Amino acid sequence: MCGIAGILYKQPGNHEIGNTLISMLDGCQHRGPDSTGFALYGDKNEQLQLRFIVPTDEAGKSTAINSIANLLEKHNAKIAAEESVGCSYKIGVDFGGDLLAFTKEMEEQAKLVSVGYSLDIIKDDGTAREVDERYDVGSFTGTHAIGHVRLATESAVRPEAAHPFWATGFEDIAIVHNGQITNYWKMRRRLERRDYAFHTDNDSELVAVYLADKLAQGEKLDDALKTAIDDLDGTFSFLVSTPTEIGYAKDHLAAKPMVLLENDEMIAVASEEVSLNRLFPGQAINSTEPAPGTYKTWSL
Amino acid sequence: MVTLDLSQLDITQANEKIRQCGREGVDVEIINPDARHNIGVGLVDPITVKVKGSAGYFCGGLSDGAHYEIESNVGWAVGDNIYTGSVVVGGNAGAIAGVAIRGAEIVIHGNMGSRAGQVMKAGTLCCGGNAAFMSGYMMYGGRIIILGDAAEKVGQDMSAGEIFIGGEIESLGNDTEIVDMAPGDLESINEFLDRYGMSFSGQFTKVVSAGKKLRYGNSEPRTRPQPFFISSQSSSYWNAKVQEDIWIKGEVGRYRIRGYGASKPVPHLNDIAFARDITQAPSDASVLEGINLRTKVGGRFGAKPLDLSMPVMIAPMSFGALSRSVKIALARASRLSGISESTGEGGMLDEQREEADQLIFQMLSGRLGWNIKDMLRADALEIYISQGAKPGLGGQLMAKKVTPELAKIRGIPEGIDLRSPSRHPDVLGADDLVIKVDELREATGHKKPLGIKMGAGRVNDDIKIAYKDGFDFVELDGLQGSTGAASTEVLENVGIPTLSAIQEAVDGLAEIEAKGDMHLVLMGGIKDGIDAVKMLALGAHCVSIGTAAMIAGGCIACMQCHVGSCPVGIATQDKGHEARYDIDRQAQNIHRYFESVRWQMAAITKALGYDDVHSINRDDLVALTPEAAEMTGLRYVPGQRDNTQHDDKLTDLSRKAG
Repeated sequence: MCGIAGILYKQPGNHEIGNTLISMLDGCQHRGPDSTGFALYGDKNEQLQLRFIVPTDEAGKSTAINSIANLLEKHNAKIAAEESVGCSYKIGVDFGGDLLAFTKEMEEQAKLVSVGYSLDIIKDDGTAREVDERYDVGSFTGTHAIGHVRLATESAVRPEAAHPFWATGFEDIAIVHNGQITNYWKMRRRLERRDYAFHTDNDSELVAVYLADKLAQGEKLDDALKTAIDDLDGTFSFLVSTPTEIGYAKDHLAAKPMVLLENDEMIAVASEEVSLNRLFPGQAINSTEPAPGTYKTWSL
Repeated sequence: MVTLDLSQLDITQANEKIRQCGREGVDVEIINPDARHNIGVGLVDPITVKVKGSAGYFCGGLSDGAHYEIESNVGWAVGDNIYTGSVVVGGNAGAIAGVAIRGAEIVIHGNMGSRAGQVMKAGTLCCGGNAAFMSGYMMYGGRIIILGDAAEKVGQDMSAGEIFIGGEIESLGNDTEIVDMAPGDLESINEFLDRYGMSFSGQFTKVVSAGKKLRYGNSEPRTRPQPFFISSQSSSYWNAKVQEDIWIKGEVGRYRIRGYGASKPVPHLNDIAFARDITQAPSDASVLEGINLRTKVGGRFGAKPLDLSMPVMIAPMSFGALSRSVKIALARASRLSGISESTGEGGMLDEQREEADQLIFQMLSGRLGWNIKDMLRADALEIYISQGAKPGLGGQLMAKKVTPELAKIRGIPEGIDLRSPSRHPDVLGADDLVIKVDELREATGHKKPLGIKMGAGRVNDDIKIAYKDGFDFVELDGLQGSTGAASTEVLENVGIPTLSAIQEAVDGLAEIEAKGDMHLVLMGGIKDGIDAVKMLALGAHCVSIGTAAMIAGGCIACMQCHVGSCPVGIATQDKGHEARYDIDRQAQNIHRYFESVRWQMAAITKALGYDDVHSINRDDLVALTPEAAEMTGLRYVPGQRDNTQHDDKLTDLSRKAG
């Protein structure tokens, strides 16, 4: 239920992806004023970066942080850096063990929303501008990013229900999704039987886990998107990002909008042209609408 | 020429200025459009609006007579529902370009997205580039010209109209065929292209409806009617109705179609009683004194609310399902009783507008008779998603009722078995609906209450979406809601009972802390003022009454509404049958019935010790059955059943009101 946007610069470097994505999401905020989220890719860190959503009251927050610390100790992960802003608690850890087992246990105890060496997922209630004020998203530089504005309809407005979703168990993969997956329970049970855990009832989380599972089996992102179009039933336009790629997939009925702009420097994709316009104020742009049932990926 | 800068004006301000320019006959230029939605919607004057850049959704939508020129691209639904006028797009168009147009000319110089020309009725949609899939989906008339290639399913489920393709066709849609160009086709196309500075030198392929699915293969056989009060009695498994149903299915080989609502017994308002003895209510005219029944509906966002003399509306029923005479009688009764009438699907009648003081205009997926001029002369607007009789499905109107007059007002071919689309072309999720709500409010200057009509399915979720999408009121229709035609399987089995619907709605809104903010109008089996008061106590703000008003106005409940030869002239378009309907007499009967509803509501309010009907609440009710208690959460007090002699007294009272 929402708006999505993504940007990828073809040349490596420290592009202003934070500010760019903020203005793209601001453009389509009317599609979802309740919460906003960003998945940003910057320089690769030495430590594994984990971001959690924690209670905002002091007592709740310290309880949550303590239980995170205990688990880290259990898995021999050492905190190298930490920061706490708003509803979010971010740490960098030295970790060399089994990521799947580690994050699975971690997710049972705490609301883990981002895991990766170059990925940072920032999401919270409020508009793109409001989230930026809290987390200084604008200062983030890097190569590519995807983002989402959410209209909370059936469920409450909660930061953890916001997008992007990270692919449980697999670092540095994020998705944003606009639409509804109608065979959600069937696909979720299939993945649960393969030992994947789900932490929300949000159908978009399914997309993330589905793709992660395919990538874990050694499939290329391209191929995973191709099978997603047939395996996932419903209406969707979604974006996925890895440390080196972004991609999209669109359902067979083209029920959810998406427009695309590619030039020598960048790929920009969004639910509506107004987001692309923000990149080129006052200029006519040559956008295209991807055909129904198609997918594509772009690499750095 | 007036220049408007959208970097300085919000879209509402801009649209007000555009409309003002329209009244003054001055053309408009829009700079810095920033692909904003709803540019120029609701314009009804013949001016030209030039957009210097890209426009978002619904550019030029819901307009009549104006001309739009967009330099660059447009989003979804360019030219939505335009009657006459034109839109020229220099670049590409998103999905459903030219949706539901009724005579306009839409030209896209670039490519256009999927489902272009969906449910269009007349006019021309022309694309200089390629068209994505399902061009001409469910079109009812008019012409689509595609100079480039057309993707899959060209003309899917089209009823009429013509599609000309200059390039490759990936595949044809259901029930379409390729035919030879008719004499004059090419001249007419070239004349059109010439006017818009385009040209084409190749060969066109012409696609039209093959016409094999426009009517049911077998029509319903004539049978002796088994009225509702007989067919709803569940005496045994293999009763006469069940046997007949099986025989007929053996004959026609498909589902049955009939009028009216669910006939199977489900827990309803009869299973709920008042918690206190109300036999002390006065039984004369004095009962109305000092009791407030007046109810306003739909002011949540500052629109002028409906102002009803009591919390009752007449339910939406179409001209089409019902005869013109009945719509006039209902409209008159609504005025006499100070309540509202609704157009239902299929457009507004002039006589109906004149008779009714407060008229709701209903807007449905097939865009049948939906137009800006009727929106502007309505007192409230209501977007239809579904109804209690057939949640998730569109309306049905069998061929006998699709007369030339009716086909004209709806913009469809005569004599088809009309099956309206089950969903709106531009509402495929809650986020789309938010944008649609904006368009409807923009096109009517934010002055009219906007409601949503929903059949009761996943009410707990749906009500939250309705709240979030910014509606002023919800008309929520339970399983027992009636219709002019639907399949019996759906009538009897799809949806949840009205009693569950109100409870889920109230609970859903409470879960998001929005209880009371958005008005709930409940319908589906409300038969009198006693039911109405119970519904209000459960949390409704107002009720809507359809079937009872029909019966008051002469309906004999024979359930043959779909056949089209209603013996009392109600559910028919046959002039001979309609002549049997005495408008003056039946309008008075309907009015007197509503006055009895008023008396009952006032009497109960007084007997319960209140002076305002809206003060009655859950504490005033008990459940008589475990099922009703489970559904509503009311206290289960079966003993209260012995205390229901008040019903007789109130019935007696209503007789006096007449």
